[in-house]
Amino acid sequence: MRRRSGVIQRENPSSLASGAAPAQDASLVASKSLVDRLGERLRRAAATEADLRTLDEYRSSFDEAYRSVITTIREKLHKRPSGRPRKTTDSIVAKLKRETIRLSQMQDIAGCRLIVADVREQDRLVDDLKRLFPEHTVIDRRRHPSHGYRAVHVIAEVQGKPVEIQVRTRLQDLWAQLCEVRSDEIDKDLKYGGGPTEERRDLDTLSQLVYHVEIGKLKHSRLKTAGRELLMLFTKR
Amino acid sequence: MIFLIEFDRAAHRILRFEHFDDAQREVAVKRRLALEIETATAKLDHEVVLLEAADEKQIRQTHRRYFKSVEDLVADFDEAEAK
Repeated sequence: MRRRSGVIQRENPSSLASGAAPAQDASLVASKSLVDRLGERLRRAAATEADLRTLDEYRSSFDEAYRSVITTIREKLHKRPSGRPRKTTDSIVAKLKRETIRLSQMQDIAGCRLIVADVREQDRLVDDLKRLFPEHTVIDRRRHPSHGYRAVHVIAEVQGKPVEIQVRTRLQDLWAQLCEVRSDEIDKDLKYGGGPTEERRDLDTLSQLVYHVEIGKLKHSRLKTAGRELLMLFTKR
Repeated sequence: MIFLIEFDRAAHRILRFEHFDDAQREVAVKRRLALEIETATAKLDHEVVLLEAADEKQIRQTHRRYFKSVEDLVADFDEAEAK
């Protein structure tokens, strides 16, 4: 099992103590079991049309919370997040297959992304988001990345639904985008610590360089050189 | 604005890129599902996703992986100034 990890801070221990979705009333608990049965079917076999429709219905239950988060960020912080209102079926199925998580436990069905200039701005924005959404979980993957991925995720709990807010610096985002593209080209598992060893090592090295540049231990020029070296290696493979 | 993207991961190519106004959210949602069912039925390994941003420029920045090659992204590292 490969899971993205990180330093996790929770501000609503009563509902998020288990890391799962918050407790719901009886009717929702019943539907939760239906959701998890759907998740099991998706984990085991190709999705049928009926399953795709049911999954989309489930995703739509996050729409209101998602809209609320986007609107709040726009109005209160004057930021313009890019939104992904419903996690793609591919990503959901891949996560179900990769991890032991149940569909009803996924915290990133709905989400958005904010890109900032540097870690200082990232810290400020995360603090703002924590104030704005009092019930939240913060997953800080900067010092301890998940398979090279560095970012801070704030999971805001709104109307009983989790909405993931990804806060990345430009460099963290560039690394993540590069990793995504290489995962498409080489091996989907690259994103999760798998794939060819050489490719994995090079992405990890670049991620460490990003970290050291961001904390001021390395000059940005070192990153430029590394990027070019990496590109040469990529094109040779 | 809302953007519907159909993406061929293996070929790293956008096959469909449609724009919707915010008022057309329901249309976009239905369109995405119909397209997903269509590609799944045809057993095509395509990603079908709805994204939302102020404008197209923003989506091209925050979701570069759909729009850029590895070469482009490495060049972006050159341009990004970490302070």
